[in-house]
Amino acid sequence: MPVNNDFSKPQRQSATGIIVIVAHGSFRVIKALIIPIIIAFFRTTENKHYLFLGLLALLIIAVIISYLWYRNFTFFLNKQNQEFVVNKGILNRDQVIIHLEKIQQVNINQNVLQKIFGVYGLKIDTAGASGEEVVIYAIDEASAYNLKEHLLDRKTNVINETSEPVHRPETATPVLKISALTLLKVGLTSNHGQSLTLMFLFFIYLIQEASHIMDLLEVDDGYVENTVMGLATLFSVAIIVVVLLVALLIINLVRTFYKYFDLEIGQHKHSLILSSGLVAKKNTMISPDKVQITKHSQNYFQKKLNMLNISLKQANFGMSKNGKEMQGNTLEIVGCNKIERDELLHMILGQVPVKGKTFIPDWRFLNLPIFFKLILPLAIFSVVAFNVPEIKPLIGFGFAYFIIGAFMIYVSYRRHRIAVNQESIIKTSGIWDISNEIIMPHKIQAITASQYPWHKGVDVGHLCLHTAAGKIRFKYGNYTEIKRLVNYWLYQVESGNENWM
Amino acid sequence: MLTENFTNDAIDIDSLPKYQEIVLKKPHVSYWKVICINLIICFLLLGIIAAFLLVFNDEIKPYLIAVVSAYIMLLICFFVVFWASFRKRGYAIRTQDVIYKDGIIAESTTIVPLNRIQHIELNEGVLSRMFKLGSLQIFTAGGVSGHLRIGGIPIDEAKSIRDLILNKLDSTESVETETNAGE
Repeated sequence: MPVNNDFSKPQRQSATGIIVIVAHGSFRVIKALIIPIIIAFFRTTENKHYLFLGLLALLIIAVIISYLWYRNFTFFLNKQNQEFVVNKGILNRDQVIIHLEKIQQVNINQNVLQKIFGVYGLKIDTAGASGEEVVIYAIDEASAYNLKEHLLDRKTNVINETSEPVHRPETATPVLKISALTLLKVGLTSNHGQSLTLMFLFFIYLIQEASHIMDLLEVDDGYVENTVMGLATLFSVAIIVVVLLVALLIINLVRTFYKYFDLEIGQHKHSLILSSGLVAKKNTMISPDKVQITKHSQNYFQKKLNMLNISLKQANFGMSKNGKEMQGNTLEIVGCNKIERDELLHMILGQVPVKGKTFIPDWRFLNLPIFFKLILPLAIFSVVAFNVPEIKPLIGFGFAYFIIGAFMIYVSYRRHRIAVNQESIIKTSGIWDISNEIIMPHKIQAITASQYPWHKGVDVGHLCLHTAAGKIRFKYGNYTEIKRLVNYWLYQVESGNENWM
Repeated sequence: MLTENFTNDAIDIDSLPKYQEIVLKKPHVSYWKVICINLIICFLLLGIIAAFLLVFNDEIKPYLIAVVSAYIMLLICFFVVFWASFRKRGYAIRTQDVIYKDGIIAESTTIVPLNRIQHIELNEGVLSRMFKLGSLQIFTAGGVSGHLRIGGIPIDEAKSIRDLILNKLDSTESVETETNAGE
């Protein structure tokens, strides 16, 4: 395939990559059927060769289907209509047409298998109302970057082709590089909540799986429970806590390194290029105008270490086929310091936003959380505790819960604010991780102002700004101020004809 | 480009048109009939199911009074809630945006600027058509939450609103392309 191919004719994916596609297809089939296969493997005692025969047949079918899929998958660029067209489907032919201006980002990835065969995967995220996205599993490197250029440089691509050779992201001017040391710090200080849930789920999964396998092997049911109980009594609680904490940190570190190793941000023409990853290097290119919400967040430790995390949220309207909100439209940049943050903000927003007039919520903000998160659960708890003697000694925990909870609610109230000036809206919130969400007024899609009838007298109300990347809420504000702000933003949105993406 | 500083803006804000002072149009009175008929159909179906259970299931039979009173309570609740929300609804089309107010307990006003509308839909249900009503759906890129559904607009008015918005959309688009070409 020549490097300066302009993709104007329909073409298939890279021929060497056919193995990747077949492997990917087979892998998907096997992944979907792994549990039935394992169960069948344990259950059948005689005639195991039939099982293998069945598996083989399954594999052959998967290979054939994958091959047909490869044969029928073609793509090309329709320059005239500024469209990228993909034809696919085995029995029913589907045609996906993507308007180039609707493309939000193009990802070039390489997983282990693709690395072996020297091909790349290319994924196109769009802002189409149907939430359609296109994945090309195997494409050689030069074509991948070439295609990416074509997809993202729509208006100027005619000039580019003659005046400039194909750009590789390496030629982009690097703006920011995150070192391994910084990543270490990031791993130690972020995502505590996520790791905790992950570990909790893993633990539950482990117990369940263990009893499941024991079931299959027809071992006594009580064995697992006994072992778990035995373990729990074996270690003192303190040791378990320490082990958990260490495990948590290690998980965090591994996750951080896996995802953000060698994170580099560069600027290339009008787009930002992000690349990172330990095993599979992920390469993302986005244009700053498409970023809807820019968020930077920091917790106490990170503040001391002078670093923060930035996430760039892009339009995610449109549901995927199974009704879930589309994922993967948020780009994370971890571990940058204040100067780097300002540089990035400047690149994305065109200026470093300063906090303008700040609005704070009314104290009534505290009412609902105190009632639903403190009083109600504690009331239920105390009713139970006074009736069940086993729980009665735990009543001290109730007090601790009340004090910690009240403190957290108060902190969240103190942090909840919105700062407005002419060019930006900054919403601050959070308890431990304090986040600042920045939007520009012209990114607003719709505004809702609401009020409960019993708040009319005290002039308290809520505000919700709808953007293509989610909502920004400000609760329990002064309603007169909110209405003024709404009028102001409406004026800004309606008088300007700035494009929101 | 605007170059005034914020204090200038603060004066500006009060001189800007105020959305809260716009007189909103109420949905057509017959729309309440449509809502009632819909509710009655739902409750009839529910009633039939409940009656079947009461007649044929011996375990439920002793709770006849409880079931009937729960049914009536539910009926009253629904009618009250729908009446309250019907009373709160209101809409207005300004030259630059669409305003819609609704809510059951809380009163919320959503405003969609015309230049942010992605597409609009005019729906006519079977019942609505009998009363010559239609509902307008206005979609923005703001997802489900930034999406308006205004029910109970007289069909002729709904059509003219639709055409008005569509015209506006076309004209803003052409203005945008013109300015882009000018740059």
